[in-house]
Amino acid sequence: MSKTDYDVIVIGGGSTGTAVVRDSAMRGLKTLLLERDDIASATVGTCAGMISSGFKYYNEPEFMDMCTDEVMHLRKIARHIVMKLPILFPVLDFSEISSGGVSKGMEEYAKRVERRGVPPFLILAPEVALELEPMLHPDVVASGYIEEFFIDPFRLSVLQAMDAKKHGADVYTYSEVTDLTVVEKEGIGVSYHNRLTGQIETVKGKVVINAAGPWAHKIAKLAGANLDLRLTKGSHIILDRRIVNVGITTRAVDRRWVYMYPHENTTLIGTTDLPTWENPDELVASHDEIEYLFKSFEWIVPSVREARIIRTMVGVRPMIPTWKVPEDEVSRSFEVVDHEPQGVSGLISFTGGKLVVCRRMAQDAVDLACEKLGKGLDCRTHIEPLPGMEGDVDILGLSEEHSISQHALERMRIRRGTEVQEILNLVREYPEWRSSMCTCEPVIEAEIRYAIRNEFPHTLNDLRRRLRLGTGPCQGTFCTFKAAAILAEELELNGEDYQLEIMDFLSERWKGKRPPMRGEQLAQEELVQGVYACVANLDQTMNELDYDLKPWEEVS
Amino acid sequence: MTEEEDYDHIMGVLREERITPYNEDELETVLSIGHCINCGLCLQHCPVVAGVGVERFSGPRSIAVELSRSPPEFWATGDKVFLCTGCGTCREVCPKNVEVPEIVNMIRARIFEHRPDLVPQELHSVDKTLLEHGLAFAPWEDLEDKAESRDMRLERLNLPFYPNRVKERAEVLFYPGCQAEERAQEVREAGKVVLEAFDVDYTLLGDFNCCGLPAILLGDDKTARELAKHLKEKVGALGTKKIVTTCAGCTSNLSYLSERDGWDIPVYHTLEYLIEEIGIESLTEKLTQSEDTQSVTVHSPCHLIRHMSRQLAEYAAQIIEAMPNAEYTESNLHDSCCGGGGMVGYHSPDVAQGVVEENLRAIERTGVSRVVAPCPLCTAHIEEMLFRTGSSVEVDDLTVFIAQRLPKKE
Repeated sequence: MSKTDYDVIVIGGGSTGTAVVRDSAMRGLKTLLLERDDIASATVGTCAGMISSGFKYYNEPEFMDMCTDEVMHLRKIARHIVMKLPILFPVLDFSEISSGGVSKGMEEYAKRVERRGVPPFLILAPEVALELEPMLHPDVVASGYIEEFFIDPFRLSVLQAMDAKKHGADVYTYSEVTDLTVVEKEGIGVSYHNRLTGQIETVKGKVVINAAGPWAHKIAKLAGANLDLRLTKGSHIILDRRIVNVGITTRAVDRRWVYMYPHENTTLIGTTDLPTWENPDELVASHDEIEYLFKSFEWIVPSVREARIIRTMVGVRPMIPTWKVPEDEVSRSFEVVDHEPQGVSGLISFTGGKLVVCRRMAQDAVDLACEKLGKGLDCRTHIEPLPGMEGDVDILGLSEEHSISQHALERMRIRRGTEVQEILNLVREYPEWRSSMCTCEPVIEAEIRYAIRNEFPHTLNDLRRRLRLGTGPCQGTFCTFKAAAILAEELELNGEDYQLEIMDFLSERWKGKRPPMRGEQLAQEELVQGVYACVANLDQTMNELDYDLKPWEEVS
Repeated sequence: MTEEEDYDHIMGVLREERITPYNEDELETVLSIGHCINCGLCLQHCPVVAGVGVERFSGPRSIAVELSRSPPEFWATGDKVFLCTGCGTCREVCPKNVEVPEIVNMIRARIFEHRPDLVPQELHSVDKTLLEHGLAFAPWEDLEDKAESRDMRLERLNLPFYPNRVKERAEVLFYPGCQAEERAQEVREAGKVVLEAFDVDYTLLGDFNCCGLPAILLGDDKTARELAKHLKEKVGALGTKKIVTTCAGCTSNLSYLSERDGWDIPVYHTLEYLIEEIGIESLTEKLTQSEDTQSVTVHSPCHLIRHMSRQLAEYAAQIIEAMPNAEYTESNLHDSCCGGGGMVGYHSPDVAQGVVEENLRAIERTGVSRVVAPCPLCTAHIEEMLFRTGSSVEVDDLTVFIAQRLPKKE
């Protein structure tokens, strides 16, 4: 087998694609992952991280069973990045609990709680609900209560990719598939544009697994196969901090479910669900979506508009193509599509799916791939832990030992578990790397260097996905320059590329900041514009750079 | 499961996840912190950052944009938030008036609840005293000794002793605060001298208890709320219309409690009471010549000028300028803090020392022979630090300084 021949080539580095490459490599198959951008740079990077029990999917009991299994698997293999969140469903009228399928949901939910180790759907008195969350409307009459688990979706995807590499897989980011050629009996030739070198490269896979999410239909088409997808746009509002301590879910203006979840050190309000045919890369949240979420939440959290919005984020869901029904009637399960009957042998695609079942989606697809390859290899992804779970991390002791603040280490532990030790080894060698690079996320220089050296980022945005750099209230005002300088040094970027890196990162931040900009974020923006235009002279430099404005950047 | 079992289960989950729900009266603070635009002005003014450097204390900005954002992580912020003196300088210079001192208290409360082992041990001792005695300091074992100490102080300062009064429906409740009640007894007596001089109808509490500020600052929210509740009941039972106190911390905390818990009674520091209720003319008339001319500067307590109003510093200046032979010199230190705030001195005396040093330099620069502070805690702290540095500048509580210049009743 030549260097460019693979058993399995996976296209797409989201939660599913990285799960597939991990599974395939762990089974001993020679595997390659091709991702056109960075790991978790599209759909999964814009989700809330919930690994759902499937409460809303009471009409799909088998899928609920699968969700429960997967929650337990993820808690086992990625305990260090999974957390539990109590969630309230407060109502202003009892009919909200007795109608709209809630009682069916309660019933189905209750059947599976024991396995997840949580109580059944509880109904709380209004005073208890208000004690748990005083931001609720004082006139709530009761509240449902459930417990769900959440995972860091960026970290899960990166860890899956890293673990795959550890098991021998090749993982190429910034490699955009441009052509698929079916070669009878041999497999599929895959051409991709290496965005780092500008070259077109070709590899061959006996099986190609298309996990390209909202682009999956386009990938299928390259091979002459047909894949139908129902694409919907989902937007979130991100608040600057945890303004609530428990999750809240409620009915939106159109009776859809919407939620407000404390997430990391922010609060997420989401989501919308709109049919879309736009380029997922260029979508931004609309005024209507922001108002839809606010209006829906105002009934139950009256002060929601007083909170600080730092940005919006938008993703596209690649749903199963069920048409002419409301989105909440579309199955949230997934399908593994074998394109063989269409005459395209060796190509497998996904439609549908949720974050919670990404590992299972991978298992089913790799099972099918094994069948095609005639190999009976067993899946082990639900047994073997992901990196970073090798024990407890003594934050207090390490803080003392390395003179790094407890909180900086705790944030690092939340991201990385026992990997913290690797970064502290760097600090031991270079004590000056203990200094903090970001005001909102206490990311130290050593972690930036470690991530660049070990986690294959190529841009500041890639670093953001690994470190949460620039995701706080100031949205990159103070960390961008410092991190760009480190990136330039580590990757040996020239001066122009260094400045382009800064432009690209600020532009990506602008994409999410612009749509909801108001109040404090407007004042914050004045400051960031001041820093970058007046102090760094970037507005002038920009004219000399080979920088193309992004579609969401307005020109005045 | 019964309702109680449900409730216990939920509370257990919150504890495991290190979550304490916000209190309704804390919501405003949470939303206020979101107004921080990361401009960093506060960093240039924070006396702790100036005193010990940003490596040791990362400062108010980091509290706003980093440390306060996620309650489940609050436990890991104790190495920083317990170093805040709560002086309120950050809020004063903040273009968005972000309530950093309040969020510090909220975070400390959650550390106290979830990781009491990470609350400095010295603060647990204070908490124990608060729980046992309802006071910030252990009371005197022998009341005769206490009276003797008081009399010695009064004699040295040439202040009279007036018998304690406890009565219902007096105009004013005089609330000396723990420091004046148990330690700086001359301040308590001086407060009485001031009220007596103007024939104010006042009362003391029959059974004094702490306003709860130390409990708030060390994070024992439950005890703080209990002390506040007791006090509210006692004040309510006495039926007074106003509260006057000689302590800066009590002034700001009682004002806050009066609003938060609906006491419906205004709270005055002695300075405010003299200027706003007695009037500077009436005060000037009564002020007597002291033996020698004094050059004086004022240390303005954080709890007065920042938690209440800068105007109180002007009141202090007005009063000293009204004294026949006192020369007032303004200190050029605007971000002053005696270092004793936020209970920092109890567990990190080096930080308190670093903070007060800025103050001592400013005091020395004025060239005065005496510094007065309208707060017995600041007075004690500055006095100790000046003594340690071998300074010849003398220190007095401002209420004592005023009382010394008021006529004694026959």
